Amino acid sequence: MAGKAEDGTNPEVHIWRIAPTRRDLLGFLGWGAVLNAIGLGTLAFVRFMYPRVLFEPPSQFRLGRPGEYAPNSTSEKWIKALRLWIVRYDDRFIAVSAICTHLGCTPRYLGTEDKYKCPCHGSGYRGFASGWRVNGANFEGPAPRPMERFKLSLADNGEIIVDKAIMFRVEKGEADRPGAFLPFA
Amino acid sequence: MATTVPETSVAGANVAVKERAAQTERLTKLVPDKVHTWPYLVRLEMLVGTAVMAFMTLWSIVVDAPLEEPANPTKTPNPSKAPWYFLGLQEILVYFDPWFAGVVLPALIIVGLMVIPYVDINPKGNGYYCFKDRWFAISTFLFGFLVLWIVLIIMGTFIRGPGWYLFLPGQFWDVHKTVAITNVNWNEFFGLRGEPWQTILGLGSVVVWLVVLPAAYWKTQYKKSETLQKLGAVRYWLTAFLFMTMMGTVVKVVLRLALSIKYIWMGPYNFNI
Amino acid sequence: MAEQKKGWFDVVKSSYVWKSVFRHEYQDTYRNRVLQVSSNVFLHLHPTKIRRHALRLRFTWCMGGITFLLFLILVVTGIILMFYYRPTGEYAYHDMKYLQFDVPFGMIMRNMHRWGAHAMVIAVWLHMFRVFMTGSYKPPREFNWVIGVNLLVMTLMLSFTGYLLPWDQLSIWAVTVGTNMGRATPVLGHEGPFADLVGVNARYDARALLTAGRLISPATLLRFYVLHCIFIPLIAAVLMIVHFWRVRKDGGISGPL
Repeated sequence: MAGKAEDGTNPEVHIWRIAPTRRDLLGFLGWGAVLNAIGLGTLAFVRFMYPRVLFEPPSQFRLGRPGEYAPNSTSEKWIKALRLWIVRYDDRFIAVSAICTHLGCTPRYLGTEDKYKCPCHGSGYRGFASGWRVNGANFEGPAPRPMERFKLSLADNGEIIVDKAIMFRVEKGEADRPGAFLPFA
Repeated sequence: MATTVPETSVAGANVAVKERAAQTERLTKLVPDKVHTWPYLVRLEMLVGTAVMAFMTLWSIVVDAPLEEPANPTKTPNPSKAPWYFLGLQEILVYFDPWFAGVVLPALIIVGLMVIPYVDINPKGNGYYCFKDRWFAISTFLFGFLVLWIVLIIMGTFIRGPGWYLFLPGQFWDVHKTVAITNVNWNEFFGLRGEPWQTILGLGSVVVWLVVLPAAYWKTQYKKSETLQKLGAVRYWLTAFLFMTMMGTVVKVVLRLALSIKYIWMGPYNFNI
Repeated sequence: MAEQKKGWFDVVKSSYVWKSVFRHEYQDTYRNRVLQVSSNVFLHLHPTKIRRHALRLRFTWCMGGITFLLFLILVVTGIILMFYYRPTGEYAYHDMKYLQFDVPFGMIMRNMHRWGAHAMVIAVWLHMFRVFMTGSYKPPREFNWVIGVNLLVMTLMLSFTGYLLPWDQLSIWAVTVGTNMGRATPVLGHEGPFADLVGVNARYDARALLTAGRLISPATLLRFYVLHCIFIPLIAAVLMIVHFWRVRKDGGISGPL
């Protein structure tokens, strides 16, 4: 510690610990403004990168009448256009999303082996015979969870409508929710 | 420099050149370990640069860059491969959930590389090739570089085929190949299903690996090891965490290949390891 | 002494314009050797004298220099390709075909850009490998090693963003696999651990920031194009400036102390 100055004050103690001077205050405000501007600018840039409107394909599609699908079958009719399978069981339809839950590749449906198989990392999902609840459940490879299901409903003219924006996750017990399947007698 | 010969004449220039060359020689010898950048280094750079340009031009003339069919989001090629320099990571993706293999592990690799100079306090081996003086640093680096990077890339490039199954080089890539894989979690492997075994065995194993083992090593070796004392707790734990994570990644890969272990620990919120 | 006849080159060299460009003679003298380097903006990246072992290719492998040369090759070929390439869903693939089959020397430029990118990744790795093996990250070069690791990341990001631009099956699926890792980012990705706690979704998460939406779409192509051509090269260039400068400031190329 250095000695005290002649007037008895300690020069090593910064003065604004006791009372900030006008210079300290202005300095504080100035640097605060600069940092604020940088921070808000960064936030604004991040928001800028998320546009309000996405020019993506519409999410609702008409898939024809229920009778067009063979009973107890997995239809690959829409796999190219919409990336989904329509599976018809005795009492209901489900729409299984053809997006591997591992890294988003398109699995293939292997009817003879009764499973879906992803070409990218070999994830396997249960096929038709496992029943509507387990259909699409992961059982081999790195997939962390079952494939999702899309919302199904009936149009006024009796056509099936799928809404790809609304998804149900089976592992969260959402398979029974209204819309996760289309009841059919 | 005082010289009586006028340099403007050619004959005079020759004498001056000789004299200057002799002076250059004298001055250069004053600092024996150093040489002039011009011409020695610049000349070398020119040669190497020319060789690289020639090589690149030849390569570009002889081999065409690939261009496949137009992008089609509904048609996944089988197999789908990432760029070759990421195939090591894609290989790791077989054994781990994407949050670890695709995000956390790459981040840890980058952070791990960046902290190397700050945790390696061994003053030896600075500026020359050697193994004995820094065997641990070199072995660890070589393990990560050669095994976790180069070997996995070679594996992903040459012996992964359709369905991401293993194919020997030259073997026919059968698109319909299937192998029954039934992976089980760590606790199920011992026949202990559900909670609390999942947490006890799963979380327990992770904690033992990342905390208990390094702590035990620290406790037992601290007094004997001068290196540990110099290293200090912070650097030790940083090194230990990164080292054990790297080794743990390999252990999990071996466990999957040998014993079909899916997850060591199925944590909450998809926090599966 | 009789006045010798001057050649035309001597006349040019003694002209006012020539002397305004070249400040010193080319004769091999001590002074000129130093001036060649220190009076040249490009060469003065180097010190005027270097340690003898810096010339030994067995020690340096010359990989840092080769990496920089490859970067320059990529900048030049990349700019040339930009004359024909349009980063939109309708045109990108057609422009690739156009470059390959119609534009004179288009195929070679494309090949050199692609193979140069691969070569640069390899050269960066070998450079890092050499620097580690000679312990050249040790004091006083710790921070330059950190810069170097960042440059490695930039190189990989440049390669990855460039991979999408041909807009063919190879690019879109490689990038699908690559960006889907982003959706698994803990906390910030909508399928990562703890995502439910924060409430991010497919529309607003780490991956959507990169891909401009839920899918790989033409919007993604434009975003990757900007990242590939402007954003990352600028950051890489700044890092390179620091990297080279620090090589000199931290004691030149490393060697036995």
